Amino acid sequence: MTNPNTGLETHSSGVKVRTETKNLGKVYVWELPVRIFHWVNVLSILALILTGIYIGNPFIGSSVPEEAYYSYVMGWARYIHFFAAFIFTANIILRVYWFFKGNKYAKTNPFKKAFWSDVLETTKFYLFLKNKKKHTPGHNSLAQLGYIIFIGLGSLIMILTGIYLYFEPQFQSIPVAKLGALFGGDSFSVRSFHHIVAWGFIIFMVIHVYLAIREDWLSKNGTISSIFTGYKTEQVENNDEKAQGEKRD
Amino acid sequence: MLKTKQKTIYEEALSRGFSRRDFLKMCTALAATMGLTFKESEKVAKAMESAKRVPVLWLQFQACTGCTESFIRASHPKVESVLLDMISLEFSDVLSAASGYQLEDNMANIMKEYAGEYVLVVEGAIPDDEFTQVAGRGAKEVLKEAAENAMLVITFGSCASWGGIPAAKPNPTNGRPVKDIIKNKQIVLVPGCPPIAEVMTGVIAHILTFGKVPELDQHGRPKAFYRHRIHDKCNRRAYFDAGLFAESFDDVGAKQGYCLYKLGCKGPTTYASCAEMRWNGGTSYPIQSGNPCIGCTEKNFWDNGPFFERRAKIPGTQTTINPDAVGFAITGAALAGVAAHAGITAVKKKKDEKSSEERSE
Repeated sequence: MTNPNTGLETHSSGVKVRTETKNLGKVYVWELPVRIFHWVNVLSILALILTGIYIGNPFIGSSVPEEAYYSYVMGWARYIHFFAAFIFTANIILRVYWFFKGNKYAKTNPFKKAFWSDVLETTKFYLFLKNKKKHTPGHNSLAQLGYIIFIGLGSLIMILTGIYLYFEPQFQSIPVAKLGALFGGDSFSVRSFHHIVAWGFIIFMVIHVYLAIREDWLSKNGTISSIFTGYKTEQVENNDEKAQGEKRD
Repeated sequence: MLKTKQKTIYEEALSRGFSRRDFLKMCTALAATMGLTFKESEKVAKAMESAKRVPVLWLQFQACTGCTESFIRASHPKVESVLLDMISLEFSDVLSAASGYQLEDNMANIMKEYAGEYVLVVEGAIPDDEFTQVAGRGAKEVLKEAAENAMLVITFGSCASWGGIPAAKPNPTNGRPVKDIIKNKQIVLVPGCPPIAEVMTGVIAHILTFGKVPELDQHGRPKAFYRHRIHDKCNRRAYFDAGLFAESFDDVGAKQGYCLYKLGCKGPTTYASCAEMRWNGGTSYPIQSGNPCIGCTEKNFWDNGPFFERRAKIPGTQTTINPDAVGFAITGAALAGVAAHAGITAVKKKKDEKSSEERSE
């Protein structure tokens, strides 16, 4: 049951393993802006999670009675949090731009029927069921759906609630008061949304990293190194495509 | 009832034996209470010289009378000057000597006599009719009738402003804030459980002085008193920024006056002027005296507990569920799931490789 296009063999167990080694070539999947977005996103989210957990529940405290002017722990935690938040936001905005500007792997379209049938097949694939999942050098539809929910919607909620919380007491200067109405209206509700969606990012990270390693392991297409170099080793149909893939950088 | 000629506040004060000097002192104190600059105290004096006393109708529904208790402890301006010089509290359930038919009759007269002029003050949430009846009539009906001819409505306390404790989950009496019932009147929210006395008198004084409602924020609260969070004006804020937190009520940190954030202080999410104006004539306020803020001016404060624990809530649930515990559990489950999935993948992969090897042989 080898797919002639991808060289990946599907077994009755549902695990896809690369068997064909002919016609392998490099495909340029992740363009430079996408890779930069990814790593800036990683660093800013890690900084945001670490400082965010501290702000929500300050786990380090001084055990020695001393005056406030010796330290500025919470102050720095908040400063780093805000700084990282602005970088995170700018990064997301640039990624939205690249959604329109970038190659086909930088896009998604959940309004197509094929998208949702692929989501179903991919879900079956991950549940070790018999499936008709097609291999793609970019993200499969289930992965795309994950990014839409966690990185798309999740980031939107985090950015909007974060802006509200950051500018909160200065409603006169920044018209963020109406923003709060989207999230329950009062400060506590907005904070609660910010808090719970942060956990969504942590859970996303666990699954994302695992599935990336798993894909690299099964498909042997260099998924992990592709986020550094941009290239994946995939079956190419003809040399034209191969050349086209390598040309753009 | 005969309509007597109303005196101005200045005339009223003079007739009570106050000197002009006393009167000006009161005006200056009032201006300071309203958050005006010293220069503007002239404006206050001018208004007091010409303004008539505002008739106030004070209604109580599902409430504990705490707001009235707080109000009569006002020290700037003193309660007697608020009650007698500035406003004419024409009707109040608590402070009335009369009762029964006499009192109800009085209320009807005031509504007729001062139609369109009086300020309606509401204390308490409005439940369904079977739970609160005044003189045989449902709370909603009484409120609607009183609001009909009112100049404006002021809601004193969190119950009248947000629903407060009577409307806390599961809200058995269907208690609602005034703004859910009165839609066509200007409503000024003065939340708090109770609000600071000087805030209550300050709002009335502002309406009296300038003849219009003070500048309101997006929720309808006067900006002069609800512009800042407690956290932003807190006397313990330096300890927050330093990362110095009291861990329990009797540790060294609590003794040193450290930040009460980890003891559940709701200051960071609470808009009120406790940290600036303080209570009982500026003596102290909860955080200063070592108790975390419970956020009593905020919407749903009773459901945003526990009071002495730092916690966010999962939107749509009760705060009895700790979002961090849920987050940890789901992350743990995700890690376990990932490990199991990896294990199954490895086993299947090995099996598949073996079978494909056999086939190629």
